[in-house]
Amino acid sequence: MVELALVQENRVAVVRKGSSLRRMARTDAFFEALTRAAAIAVLGVLGGVMISLMMGAWPALDKFGLGFLYSQSWNPVTEKFGALAPIYGTIVTSAIALAMAVPIGLGVAIFLTEICPQVLRRPIGIAIELLAGIPSIIYGIWGLFVLAPLLQHTLQPRLVDLFQSVPVLSTLFAGPPYGIGVLTSALILAIMILPFIASITRDVFEQVPPMLKEAAFGLGCTTREVIRNVVIPYTRVGVTGGCMLALGRALGETMAVTFVIGNAHRITPSLLAPGTTISATIANEFTEAVGDLYTSALIALGLILFVITFIVLAIARYMLARIALRAGT
Amino acid sequence: MDMGPAAAAATAAAAPPIKVDIRDLSFFYGQTKALKNVTMPLYRNNVTAFIGPSGCGKSTLLRALNRIYEMYPNQRAEGEVIVDGENILDSRQDVNLLRAKLGMVFQKPTPFPMTIFDNIAFGIRMYERLSKSELDDRVERALRNAALWDEVKDKLGASGLSLSGGQQQRLCIARTVAIEPEVILLDEPCSALDPISTARIEELIDELKTDYTIVIVTHNMQQAARISDYTAFMLLGELIEFGDTATITTKPGVQKTEDYITGRFG
Repeated sequence: MVELALVQENRVAVVRKGSSLRRMARTDAFFEALTRAAAIAVLGVLGGVMISLMMGAWPALDKFGLGFLYSQSWNPVTEKFGALAPIYGTIVTSAIALAMAVPIGLGVAIFLTEICPQVLRRPIGIAIELLAGIPSIIYGIWGLFVLAPLLQHTLQPRLVDLFQSVPVLSTLFAGPPYGIGVLTSALILAIMILPFIASITRDVFEQVPPMLKEAAFGLGCTTREVIRNVVIPYTRVGVTGGCMLALGRALGETMAVTFVIGNAHRITPSLLAPGTTISATIANEFTEAVGDLYTSALIALGLILFVITFIVLAIARYMLARIALRAGT
Repeated sequence: MDMGPAAAAATAAAAPPIKVDIRDLSFFYGQTKALKNVTMPLYRNNVTAFIGPSGCGKSTLLRALNRIYEMYPNQRAEGEVIVDGENILDSRQDVNLLRAKLGMVFQKPTPFPMTIFDNIAFGIRMYERLSKSELDDRVERALRNAALWDEVKDKLGASGLSLSGGQQQRLCIARTVAIEPEVILLDEPCSALDPISTARIEELIDELKTDYTIVIVTHNMQQAARISDYTAFMLLGELIEFGDTATITTKPGVQKTEDYITGRFG
Protein backbone atom coordinates (compact mmCIF):
# COMPACT_ATOMS: atom_id res chain seq x y z
CA MET A 1 0.00 0.00 0.00
CA VAL A 2 2.70 2.35 1.08
CA GLU A 3 4.87 1.28 -1.83
CA LEU A 4 2.11 1.86 -4.31
CA ALA A 5 1.55 5.35 -2.97
CA LEU A 6 5.25 6.02 -3.35
CA VAL A 7 5.26 4.81 -6.92
CA GLN A 8 2.27 7.00 -7.73
CA GLU A 9 3.87 9.96 -6.09
CA ASN A 10 7.00 9.37 -8.12
CA ARG A 11 5.01 9.23 -11.29
CA VAL A 12 3.30 12.51 -10.43
CA ALA A 13 6.69 14.05 -9.74
CA VAL A 14 8.02 12.87 -13.07
CA VAL A 15 4.99 14.21 -14.91
CA ARG A 16 5.25 17.52 -13.13
CA LYS A 17 8.93 17.71 -13.92
CA GLY A 18 8.19 17.07 -17.57
CA SER A 19 5.56 19.77 -17.79
CA SER A 20 7.66 22.35 -15.99
CA LEU A 21 10.57 21.53 -18.30
CA ARG A 22 8.32 22.09 -21.28
CA ARG A 23 7.13 25.36 -19.79
CA MET A 24 10.68 26.47 -19.21
CA ALA A 25 11.58 25.61 -22.77
CA ARG A 26 8.67 27.74 -23.96
CA THR A 27 9.73 30.69 -21.79
CA ASP A 28 13.26 30.26 -23.03
CA ALA A 29 12.14 30.36 -26.65
CA PHE A 30 10.01 33.42 -25.98
CA PHE A 31 12.85 35.20 -24.22
CA GLU A 32 15.21 34.33 -27.02
CA ALA A 33 12.82 35.71 -29.62
CA LEU A 34 12.35 38.89 -27.58
CA THR A 35 16.05 39.63 -27.25
CA ARG A 36 16.66 38.73 -30.88
CA ALA A 37 13.92 41.14 -31.92
CA ALA A 38 15.51 43.90 -29.83
CA ALA A 39 18.87 43.30 -31.46
CA ILE A 40 17.38 43.23 -34.94
CA ALA A 41 15.43 46.42 -34.18
CA VAL A 42 18.74 48.27 -33.69
CA LEU A 43 19.93 47.13 -37.09
CA GLY A 44 16.54 48.04 -38.50
CA VAL A 45 16.75 51.57 -37.11
CA LEU A 46 20.27 52.00 -38.48
CA GLY A 47 19.18 50.76 -41.90
CA GLY A 48 16.04 52.90 -41.76
CA VAL A 49 18.03 56.05 -40.99
CA MET A 50 20.38 55.26 -43.83
CA ILE A 51 17.59 54.63 -46.32
CA SER A 52 15.53 57.68 -45.39
CA LEU A 53 18.64 59.86 -45.53
CA MET A 54 19.37 58.54 -49.00
CA MET A 55 15.80 59.04 -50.16
CA GLY A 56 15.70 62.56 -48.72
CA ALA A 57 19.07 63.44 -50.22
CA TRP A 58 18.25 62.01 -53.63
CA PRO A 59 16.73 65.14 -55.30
CA ALA A 60 19.78 67.25 -54.39
CA LEU A 61 22.31 64.54 -55.30
CA ASP A 62 20.44 63.89 -58.54
CA LYS A 63 20.52 67.57 -59.49
CA PHE A 64 24.09 68.44 -58.50
CA GLY A 65 25.74 65.03 -58.84
CA LEU A 66 29.25 64.67 -57.49
CA GLY A 67 29.57 68.44 -57.84
CA PHE A 68 27.64 68.67 -54.59
CA LEU A 69 30.76 67.45 -52.81
CA TYR A 70 33.17 70.01 -54.25
CA SER A 71 31.05 73.04 -55.02
CA GLN A 72 31.38 75.95 -52.61
CA SER A 73 28.26 77.90 -53.47
CA TRP A 74 25.32 77.78 -51.09
CA ASN A 75 22.62 80.00 -52.46
CA PRO A 76 19.03 79.33 -51.39
CA VAL A 77 17.70 82.06 -53.70
CA THR A 78 19.09 80.60 -56.91
CA GLU A 79 18.88 77.10 -55.39
CA LYS A 80 22.52 76.28 -56.05
CA PHE A 81 23.93 74.12 -53.31
CA GLY A 82 27.40 72.69 -52.70
CA ALA A 83 28.69 71.03 -49.53
CA LEU A 84 32.36 71.93 -49.68
CA ALA A 85 32.29 74.79 -47.15
CA PRO A 86 30.51 72.82 -44.41
CA ILE A 87 32.64 69.73 -45.09
CA TYR A 88 35.78 71.85 -44.88
CA GLY A 89 34.59 73.54 -41.68
CA THR A 90 33.68 70.23 -40.07
CA ILE A 91 37.00 68.62 -40.82
CA VAL A 92 39.13 71.65 -39.94
CA THR A 93 37.43 72.39 -36.61
CA SER A 94 37.56 68.73 -35.60
CA ALA A 95 41.18 68.31 -36.63
CA ILE A 96 42.31 71.38 -34.69
CA ALA A 97 40.25 70.31 -31.71
CA LEU A 98 41.88 66.88 -31.80
CA ALA A 99 45.34 68.40 -32.09
CA MET A 100 44.68 70.46 -28.97
CA ALA A 101 42.83 67.86 -26.92
CA VAL A 102 44.96 64.75 -27.54
CA PRO A 103 48.17 65.90 -25.84
CA ILE A 104 46.29 67.28 -22.85
CA GLY A 105 44.01 64.24 -22.59
CA LEU A 106 46.97 61.89 -22.73
CA GLY A 107 48.69 63.95 -20.08
CA VAL A 108 45.68 63.68 -17.81
CA ALA A 109 45.43 59.92 -18.38
CA ILE A 110 49.14 59.35 -17.75
CA PHE A 111 48.98 61.42 -14.60
CA LEU A 112 45.93 59.53 -13.35
CA THR A 113 47.27 56.04 -14.01
CA GLU A 114 50.97 56.38 -13.32
CA ILE A 115 51.77 59.38 -11.18
CA CYS A 116 48.75 60.62 -9.23
CA PRO A 117 48.64 59.71 -5.51
CA GLN A 118 45.98 57.08 -4.82
CA VAL A 119 43.72 59.39 -2.81
CA LEU A 120 43.34 61.86 -5.68
CA ARG A 121 42.67 59.30 -8.42
CA ARG A 122 38.97 58.84 -7.79
CA PRO A 123 38.06 62.52 -7.31
CA ILE A 124 39.90 63.60 -10.46
CA GLY A 125 38.51 60.66 -12.42
CA ILE A 126 34.96 61.55 -11.36
CA ALA A 127 35.49 65.23 -12.18
CA ILE A 128 36.55 64.28 -15.69
CA GLU A 129 33.50 62.11 -16.19
CA LEU A 130 31.27 64.94 -14.94
CA LEU A 131 32.91 67.28 -17.43
CA ALA A 132 31.90 64.83 -20.16
CA GLY A 133 28.30 64.98 -18.93
CA ILE A 134 27.80 68.75 -19.31
CA PRO A 135 25.15 69.35 -22.02
CA SER A 136 26.63 70.86 -25.16
CA ILE A 137 24.22 73.82 -25.13
CA ILE A 138 25.98 75.00 -21.98
CA TYR A 139 29.32 74.89 -23.72
CA GLY A 140 27.62 76.82 -26.53
CA ILE A 141 26.33 79.75 -24.45
CA TRP A 142 29.53 79.83 -22.42
CA GLY A 143 31.49 79.93 -25.66
CA LEU A 144 29.36 82.73 -27.11
CA PHE A 145 29.09 84.96 -24.05
CA VAL A 146 32.34 84.30 -22.23
CA LEU A 147 35.00 82.63 -24.36
CA ALA A 148 34.42 84.43 -27.68
CA PRO A 149 34.63 88.00 -26.26
CA LEU A 150 37.63 86.97 -24.21
CA LEU A 151 39.45 85.59 -27.26
CA GLN A 152 38.42 88.62 -29.29
CA HIS A 153 40.15 90.96 -26.90
CA THR A 154 43.11 88.89 -25.81
CA LEU A 155 44.33 85.90 -27.81
CA GLN A 156 43.17 86.75 -31.32
CA PRO A 157 44.69 90.26 -31.71
CA ARG A 158 47.92 88.90 -30.29
CA LEU A 159 47.98 86.01 -32.73
CA VAL A 160 47.44 88.44 -35.61
CA ASP A 161 50.26 90.70 -34.41
CA LEU A 162 52.60 87.86 -33.64
CA PHE A 163 52.36 86.10 -37.00
CA GLN A 164 52.03 89.23 -39.14
CA SER A 165 55.33 88.70 -40.91
CA VAL A 166 55.52 84.89 -40.82
CA PRO A 167 54.70 83.57 -44.32
CA VAL A 168 52.13 80.77 -43.77
CA LEU A 169 50.93 81.68 -40.31
CA SER A 170 50.04 85.21 -41.35
CA THR A 171 47.35 83.79 -43.66
CA LEU A 172 46.10 81.41 -40.99
CA PHE A 173 45.70 84.19 -38.47
CA ALA A 174 44.49 87.09 -40.57
CA GLY A 175 41.61 89.51 -40.61
CA PRO A 176 39.71 91.28 -37.87
CA PRO A 177 39.25 89.30 -34.67
CA TYR A 178 35.53 88.60 -34.47
CA GLY A 179 35.75 86.39 -31.43
CA ILE A 180 33.51 83.83 -33.03
CA GLY A 181 34.94 81.70 -35.83
CA VAL A 182 36.73 78.50 -36.73
CA LEU A 183 39.41 78.76 -34.04
CA THR A 184 36.94 79.45 -31.24
CA SER A 185 34.78 76.50 -32.35
CA ALA A 186 37.82 74.26 -32.39
CA LEU A 187 38.72 75.41 -28.88
CA ILE A 188 35.22 74.67 -27.58
CA LEU A 189 35.29 71.28 -29.30
CA ALA A 190 38.67 70.55 -27.76
CA ILE A 191 37.30 71.26 -24.29
CA MET A 192 34.30 69.04 -25.01
CA ILE A 193 36.22 66.01 -26.26
CA LEU A 194 39.04 66.29 -23.72
CA PRO A 195 37.22 64.28 -21.03
CA PHE A 196 36.47 61.53 -23.58
CA ILE A 197 40.07 61.23 -24.59
CA ALA A 198 41.24 61.36 -20.98
CA SER A 199 38.86 58.69 -19.72
CA ILE A 200 39.21 56.30 -22.67
CA THR A 201 43.00 56.48 -22.69
CA ARG A 202 43.02 56.07 -18.92
CA ASP A 203 41.06 52.84 -19.31
CA VAL A 204 43.45 51.72 -22.03
CA PHE A 205 46.51 52.50 -19.91
CA GLU A 206 45.04 50.49 -17.06
CA GLN A 207 45.08 47.44 -19.31
CA VAL A 208 48.87 47.36 -19.35
CA PRO A 209 49.78 44.26 -17.32
CA PRO A 210 51.37 45.31 -13.99
CA MET A 211 54.04 42.66 -14.57
CA LEU A 212 55.19 44.42 -17.71
CA LYS A 213 55.57 47.67 -15.82
CA GLU A 214 57.31 45.87 -12.97
CA ALA A 215 59.72 44.37 -15.47
CA ALA A 216 60.54 47.80 -16.81
CA PHE A 217 60.94 49.29 -13.35
CA GLY A 218 62.96 46.21 -12.46
CA LEU A 219 65.49 47.16 -15.13
CA GLY A 220 65.87 50.47 -13.37
CA CYS A 221 63.63 52.56 -15.62
CA THR A 222 62.27 55.83 -14.31
CA THR A 223 58.52 56.47 -14.50
CA ARG A 224 59.03 58.60 -17.61
CA GLU A 225 60.98 55.85 -19.34
CA VAL A 226 58.38 53.25 -18.46
CA ILE A 227 55.62 55.42 -19.89
CA ARG A 228 57.50 56.30 -23.05
CA ASN A 229 58.97 52.90 -23.84
CA VAL A 230 56.44 50.45 -22.46
CA VAL A 231 53.04 51.95 -21.65
CA ILE A 232 52.59 54.06 -24.81
CA PRO A 233 53.92 51.46 -27.30
CA TYR A 234 51.82 48.75 -25.67
CA THR A 235 48.65 50.84 -25.86
CA ARG A 236 49.27 52.65 -29.13
CA VAL A 237 46.39 51.03 -30.99
CA GLY A 238 43.93 51.61 -28.15
CA VAL A 239 44.95 55.23 -27.70
CA THR A 240 44.48 55.84 -31.42
CA GLY A 241 41.08 54.18 -31.22
CA GLY A 242 40.09 56.41 -28.31
CA CYS A 243 41.13 59.52 -30.21
CA MET A 244 39.11 58.42 -33.23
CA LEU A 245 36.09 57.96 -30.99
CA ALA A 246 36.57 61.53 -29.76
CA LEU A 247 36.98 62.66 -33.36
CA GLY A 248 33.66 61.03 -34.19
CA ARG A 249 32.04 63.05 -31.47
CA ALA A 250 33.71 66.29 -32.55
CA LEU A 251 32.58 65.79 -36.15
CA GLY A 252 28.95 65.45 -35.15
CA GLU A 253 28.83 68.06 -32.40
CA THR A 254 26.11 70.58 -33.24
CA MET A 255 24.91 72.99 -30.57
CA ALA A 256 28.14 74.36 -29.17
CA VAL A 257 29.63 74.84 -32.62
CA THR A 258 26.50 76.47 -34.03
CA PHE A 259 26.78 79.11 -31.31
CA VAL A 260 30.35 80.14 -31.93
CA ILE A 261 31.32 79.35 -35.52
CA GLY A 262 29.59 82.31 -37.16
CA ASN A 263 27.70 80.35 -39.82
CA ALA A 264 29.30 81.73 -42.95
CA HIS A 265 29.18 79.54 -46.06
CA ARG A 266 32.62 80.20 -47.31
CA ILE A 267 36.09 78.80 -47.06
CA THR A 268 38.69 81.25 -45.82
CA PRO A 269 42.26 80.34 -45.01
CA SER A 270 42.13 82.42 -41.83
CA LEU A 271 41.20 80.47 -38.72
CA LEU A 272 39.87 83.64 -37.13
CA ALA A 273 37.19 84.06 -39.79
CA PRO A 274 33.68 82.68 -39.36
CA GLY A 275 32.85 79.43 -41.11
CA THR A 276 30.30 76.66 -40.80
CA THR A 277 30.09 72.94 -40.24
CA ILE A 278 27.69 70.35 -41.57
CA SER A 279 25.71 70.01 -38.37
CA ALA A 280 25.67 73.76 -37.71
CA THR A 281 24.29 74.39 -41.21
CA ILE A 282 21.54 71.84 -40.75
CA ALA A 283 20.58 73.14 -37.30
CA ASN A 284 20.51 76.75 -38.48
CA GLU A 285 18.71 76.39 -41.76
CA PHE A 286 16.17 73.61 -41.34
CA THR A 287 13.38 75.93 -40.26
CA GLU A 288 13.84 78.28 -43.19
CA ALA A 289 14.36 75.64 -45.86
CA VAL A 290 11.29 76.27 -47.97
CA GLY A 291 11.93 74.63 -51.30
CA ASP A 292 12.15 70.87 -51.75
CA LEU A 293 15.64 71.16 -53.17
CA TYR A 294 16.84 73.23 -50.20
CA THR A 295 15.56 70.62 -47.74
CA SER A 296 17.04 67.86 -49.81
CA ALA A 297 20.43 69.58 -49.86
CA LEU A 298 20.38 69.76 -46.07
CA ILE A 299 19.51 66.07 -45.83
CA ALA A 300 22.33 65.32 -48.25
CA LEU A 301 24.66 67.18 -45.88
CA GLY A 302 23.38 64.92 -43.12
CA LEU A 303 24.10 61.86 -45.22
CA ILE A 304 27.68 63.01 -45.78
CA LEU A 305 28.17 63.53 -42.05
CA PHE A 306 26.64 60.12 -41.38
CA VAL A 307 29.09 58.46 -43.74
CA ILE A 308 32.12 60.35 -42.36
CA THR A 309 31.33 59.59 -38.71
CA PHE A 310 30.40 56.01 -39.55
CA ILE A 311 33.80 55.41 -41.09
CA VAL A 312 35.65 57.15 -38.24
CA LEU A 313 33.75 55.23 -35.57
CA ALA A 314 34.22 51.93 -37.38
CA ILE A 315 37.98 52.49 -37.44
CA ALA A 316 37.91 53.47 -33.75
CA ARG A 317 35.96 50.35 -32.74
CA TYR A 318 38.27 48.16 -34.74
CA MET A 319 41.32 49.62 -33.02
CA LEU A 320 39.84 49.36 -29.53
CA ALA A 321 38.83 45.76 -30.22
CA ARG A 322 42.38 44.96 -31.22
CA ILE A 323 43.83 46.12 -27.94
CA ALA A 324 41.17 44.29 -25.92
CA LEU A 325 42.10 41.16 -27.86
CA ARG A 326 45.76 41.58 -27.05
CA ALA A 327 45.11 42.27 -23.37
CA GLY A 328 43.07 39.07 -23.23
CA THR A 329 45.89 36.84 -24.39
CA MET B 1 66.70 33.69 14.35
CA ASP B 2 67.72 30.11 14.98
CA MET B 3 68.91 28.63 11.73
CA GLY B 4 69.32 25.10 13.03
CA PRO B 5 72.55 23.21 13.56
CA ALA B 6 72.72 21.97 9.97
CA ALA B 7 72.66 25.50 8.61
CA ALA B 8 75.27 26.69 11.02
CA ALA B 9 77.52 23.80 10.07
CA ALA B 10 77.09 24.48 6.36
CA THR B 11 77.86 28.15 6.79
CA ALA B 12 80.99 27.36 8.76
CA ALA B 13 82.23 24.71 6.33
CA ALA B 14 81.77 26.43 2.95
CA ALA B 15 81.63 30.09 3.98
CA PRO B 16 81.64 31.73 0.55
CA PRO B 17 81.57 35.52 0.67
CA ILE B 18 78.19 37.03 1.44
CA LYS B 19 76.76 39.17 -1.39
CA VAL B 20 73.45 40.15 0.15
CA ASP B 21 72.87 40.09 3.86
CA ILE B 22 69.23 40.11 4.88
CA ARG B 23 68.88 41.16 8.50
CA ASP B 24 65.69 41.11 10.51
CA LEU B 25 63.58 41.93 7.46
CA SER B 26 59.83 42.36 7.92
CA PHE B 27 57.35 43.25 5.21
CA PHE B 28 53.87 44.71 5.42
CA TYR B 29 50.95 44.78 3.00
CA GLY B 30 48.99 47.54 4.74
CA GLN B 31 48.44 46.13 8.23
CA THR B 32 49.27 42.54 7.31
CA LYS B 33 52.73 41.40 8.23
CA ALA B 34 53.78 39.12 5.40
CA LEU B 35 57.41 38.63 6.37
CA LYS B 36 58.42 38.14 9.97
CA ASN B 37 61.97 39.13 10.90
CA VAL B 38 63.78 37.15 8.24
CA THR B 39 67.55 36.93 8.55
CA MET B 40 69.67 35.08 6.00
CA PRO B 41 72.74 35.46 3.83
CA LEU B 42 72.86 35.17 0.03
CA TYR B 43 76.28 33.89 -1.01
CA ARG B 44 78.22 35.29 -3.94
CA ASN B 45 78.26 33.10 -7.09
CA ASN B 46 75.85 30.65 -5.57
CA VAL B 47 72.24 29.82 -6.32
CA THR B 48 69.91 30.24 -3.38
CA ALA B 49 66.40 28.82 -3.67
CA PHE B 50 63.41 30.09 -1.68
CA ILE B 51 60.90 27.28 -1.23
CA GLY B 52 57.64 26.95 0.64
CA PRO B 53 53.90 26.70 0.04
CA SER B 54 51.91 29.45 -1.70
CA GLY B 55 51.59 32.58 0.37
CA CYS B 56 54.60 31.82 2.57
CA GLY B 57 56.30 35.08 1.63
CA LYS B 58 59.04 33.84 -0.68
CA SER B 59 58.06 36.11 -3.58
CA THR B 60 57.53 38.96 -1.13
CA LEU B 61 61.07 38.47 0.14
CA LEU B 62 62.40 38.55 -3.41
CA ARG B 63 60.43 41.68 -4.24
CA ALA B 64 61.79 43.42 -1.15
CA LEU B 65 65.33 42.95 -2.42
CA ASN B 66 65.02 45.33 -5.37
CA ARG B 67 62.32 47.48 -3.80
CA ILE B 68 59.93 46.82 -6.68
CA TYR B 69 57.13 46.85 -4.08
CA GLU B 70 57.47 50.63 -3.98
CA MET B 71 55.34 50.80 -7.12
CA TYR B 72 52.37 50.05 -4.92
CA PRO B 73 51.08 52.16 -2.06
CA ASN B 74 50.67 50.58 1.39
CA GLN B 75 53.55 48.18 0.97
CA ARG B 76 56.63 48.69 3.10
CA ALA B 77 59.66 46.86 4.41
CA GLU B 78 61.44 47.12 7.74
CA GLY B 79 64.86 45.88 8.71
CA GLU B 80 68.04 45.84 6.69
CA VAL B 81 69.23 44.40 3.41
CA ILE B 82 72.96 44.96 3.12
CA VAL B 83 74.45 44.80 -0.37
CA ASP B 84 78.18 45.60 -0.54
CA GLY B 85 78.06 47.28 2.84
CA GLU B 86 75.07 49.50 2.10
CA ASN B 87 71.54 49.15 3.39
CA ILE B 88 69.48 49.20 0.23
CA LEU B 89 66.24 49.85 2.13
CA ASP B 90 67.67 53.24 3.09
CA SER B 91 65.51 55.91 1.46
CA ARG B 92 68.65 57.69 0.26
CA GLN B 93 69.57 54.70 -1.90
CA ASP B 94 69.06 55.43 -5.62
CA VAL B 95 66.38 52.94 -6.50
CA ASN B 96 67.10 52.91 -10.24
CA LEU B 97 70.75 52.08 -9.71
CA LEU B 98 69.74 49.48 -7.16
CA ARG B 99 67.50 47.78 -9.69
CA ALA B 100 70.27 47.81 -12.24
CA LYS B 101 72.41 45.97 -9.71
CA LEU B 102 69.75 43.45 -8.71
CA GLY B 103 68.04 42.35 -11.92
CA MET B 104 64.70 40.57 -11.80
CA VAL B 105 62.98 37.97 -13.97
CA PHE B 106 59.29 37.37 -13.45
CA GLN B 107 56.94 34.42 -13.29
CA LYS B 108 55.44 35.07 -16.70
CA PRO B 109 57.58 36.21 -19.60
CA THR B 110 57.26 39.98 -19.97
CA PRO B 111 58.87 40.99 -23.25
CA PHE B 112 58.45 44.69 -23.97
CA PRO B 113 56.34 45.70 -26.97
CA MET B 114 59.38 46.22 -29.22
CA THR B 115 61.76 44.21 -31.37
CA ILE B 116 63.91 41.40 -29.99
CA PHE B 117 67.00 43.55 -30.44
CA ASP B 118 65.44 46.54 -28.69
CA ASN B 119 64.22 44.41 -25.81
CA ILE B 120 67.86 43.84 -24.95
CA ALA B 121 69.29 47.15 -26.13
CA PHE B 122 66.68 49.17 -24.26
CA GLY B 123 68.16 48.46 -20.84
CA ILE B 124 71.74 48.89 -22.00
CA ARG B 125 70.99 52.27 -23.56
CA MET B 126 69.64 53.53 -20.25
CA TYR B 127 72.98 53.13 -18.52
CA GLU B 128 75.61 53.34 -21.21
CA ARG B 129 76.26 55.30 -24.33
CA LEU B 130 77.64 52.79 -26.82
CA SER B 131 78.45 52.86 -30.50
CA LYS B 132 76.29 50.80 -32.83
CA SER B 133 78.84 47.99 -33.10
CA GLU B 134 79.46 47.88 -29.34
CA LEU B 135 75.74 47.73 -28.76
CA ASP B 136 75.41 44.92 -31.31
CA ASP B 137 78.13 43.01 -29.49
CA ARG B 138 76.49 43.47 -26.13
CA VAL B 139 73.11 42.34 -27.42
CA GLU B 140 74.68 39.28 -29.04
CA ARG B 141 76.59 38.44 -25.87
CA ALA B 142 73.46 38.76 -23.73
CA LEU B 143 71.47 36.56 -26.10
CA ARG B 144 74.29 33.99 -26.17
CA ASN B 145 74.43 34.04 -22.38
CA ALA B 146 70.73 33.29 -22.29
CA ALA B 147 71.15 30.48 -24.85
CA LEU B 148 68.82 32.25 -27.26
CA TRP B 149 71.19 33.63 -29.89
CA ASP B 150 71.03 30.74 -32.35
CA GLU B 151 67.25 30.78 -32.37
CA VAL B 152 66.81 34.51 -32.93
CA LYS B 153 69.94 35.75 -34.72
CA ASP B 154 68.12 35.90 -38.06
CA LYS B 155 65.08 37.75 -36.76
CA LEU B 156 66.36 40.36 -34.34
CA GLY B 157 63.98 42.86 -35.93
CA ALA B 158 60.90 40.76 -35.15
CA SER B 159 58.64 41.62 -32.22
CA GLY B 160 59.63 40.11 -28.87
CA LEU B 161 56.03 38.97 -28.58
CA SER B 162 56.42 36.69 -31.61
CA LEU B 163 58.63 34.24 -29.69
CA SER B 164 57.39 31.13 -27.88
CA GLY B 165 56.87 31.28 -24.12
CA GLY B 166 60.18 29.61 -23.31
CA GLN B 167 62.04 31.83 -25.76
CA GLN B 168 60.33 34.90 -24.30
CA GLN B 169 61.47 33.92 -20.83
CA ARG B 170 65.04 33.47 -22.04
CA LEU B 171 64.72 36.86 -23.74
CA CYS B 172 63.77 38.34 -20.38
CA ILE B 173 66.75 36.67 -18.75
CA ALA B 174 68.97 38.02 -21.54
CA ARG B 175 67.51 41.47 -20.99
CA THR B 176 68.33 41.25 -17.31
CA VAL B 177 71.83 39.90 -17.93
CA ALA B 178 72.51 42.57 -20.56
CA ILE B 179 72.69 45.41 -18.07
CA GLU B 180 75.28 43.40 -16.13
CA PRO B 181 73.68 43.22 -12.72
CA GLU B 182 75.43 41.59 -9.78
CA VAL B 183 72.49 39.65 -8.46
CA ILE B 184 69.72 38.01 -10.50
CA LEU B 185 66.37 37.53 -8.81
CA LEU B 186 64.19 34.91 -10.47
CA ASP B 187 60.55 34.71 -9.39
CA GLU B 188 59.30 31.25 -10.42
CA PRO B 189 60.83 31.69 -13.87
CA CYS B 190 59.72 28.27 -15.12
CA SER B 191 56.19 28.11 -13.80
CA ALA B 192 54.65 29.02 -17.18
CA LEU B 193 56.99 26.84 -19.23
CA ASP B 194 57.04 23.31 -20.61
CA PRO B 195 59.63 20.78 -19.36
CA ILE B 196 62.03 21.31 -22.27
CA SER B 197 62.13 25.08 -21.83
CA THR B 198 62.42 24.55 -18.08
CA ALA B 199 65.46 22.32 -18.58
CA ARG B 200 67.11 24.94 -20.78
CA ILE B 201 66.56 27.64 -18.20
CA GLU B 202 67.89 25.44 -15.42
CA GLU B 203 71.04 24.80 -17.45
CA LEU B 204 71.29 28.51 -18.01
CA ILE B 205 71.04 29.29 -14.31
CA ASP B 206 73.86 26.85 -13.68
CA GLU B 207 76.04 28.64 -16.23
CA LEU B 208 75.15 32.10 -15.01
CA LYS B 209 76.21 31.49 -11.44
CA THR B 210 79.89 31.74 -12.37
CA ASP B 211 79.31 35.45 -12.94
CA TYR B 212 76.30 36.27 -10.82
CA THR B 213 74.70 35.70 -7.47
CA ILE B 214 71.36 34.06 -8.13
CA VAL B 215 68.19 33.84 -6.10
CA ILE B 216 65.30 31.72 -7.35
CA VAL B 217 61.81 31.39 -5.96
CA THR B 218 60.31 28.03 -6.83
CA HIS B 219 57.33 25.89 -6.00
CA ASN B 220 59.10 22.88 -7.28
CA MET B 221 61.13 21.01 -4.69
CA GLN B 222 62.94 18.95 -7.32
CA GLN B 223 63.94 22.09 -9.15
CA ALA B 224 65.39 23.58 -5.99
CA ALA B 225 67.31 20.36 -5.40
CA ARG B 226 68.62 20.30 -8.98
CA ILE B 227 69.87 23.83 -9.35
CA SER B 228 70.47 25.47 -5.99
CA ASP B 229 73.44 25.45 -3.64
CA TYR B 230 71.53 26.85 -0.69
CA THR B 231 67.88 26.55 0.19
CA ALA B 232 65.65 28.63 2.43
CA PHE B 233 62.38 27.05 3.53
CA MET B 234 59.67 29.52 4.45
CA LEU B 235 56.28 29.12 6.01
CA LEU B 236 53.67 31.77 6.84
CA GLY B 237 56.14 34.62 6.48
CA GLU B 238 58.82 33.05 8.63
CA LEU B 239 62.13 31.57 7.62
CA ILE B 240 61.96 28.06 9.02
CA GLU B 241 65.26 26.73 7.88
CA PHE B 242 68.23 27.83 5.82
CA GLY B 243 71.14 25.68 4.78
CA ASP B 244 72.95 24.04 1.92
CA THR B 245 70.55 22.30 -0.41
CA ALA B 246 71.93 18.81 0.05
CA THR B 247 71.33 18.97 3.78
CA ILE B 248 67.90 20.58 3.53
CA THR B 249 66.64 18.04 1.03
CA THR B 250 68.10 14.91 2.60
CA LYS B 251 68.14 15.47 6.34
CA PRO B 252 66.45 18.74 7.29
CA GLY B 253 66.91 19.92 10.86
CA VAL B 254 63.30 21.01 11.38
CA GLN B 255 60.23 18.77 11.31
CA LYS B 256 58.17 21.32 9.32
CA THR B 257 60.76 21.34 6.54
CA GLU B 258 60.73 17.59 6.37
CA ASP B 259 56.93 17.56 6.24
CA TYR B 260 56.97 19.95 3.29
CA ILE B 261 59.73 18.20 1.39
CA THR B 262 58.21 14.77 1.79
CA GLY B 263 54.89 16.18 0.61
CA ARG B 264 52.94 15.83 3.81
CA PHE B 265 51.57 19.33 3.26
CA GLY B 266 51.95 22.39 1.12
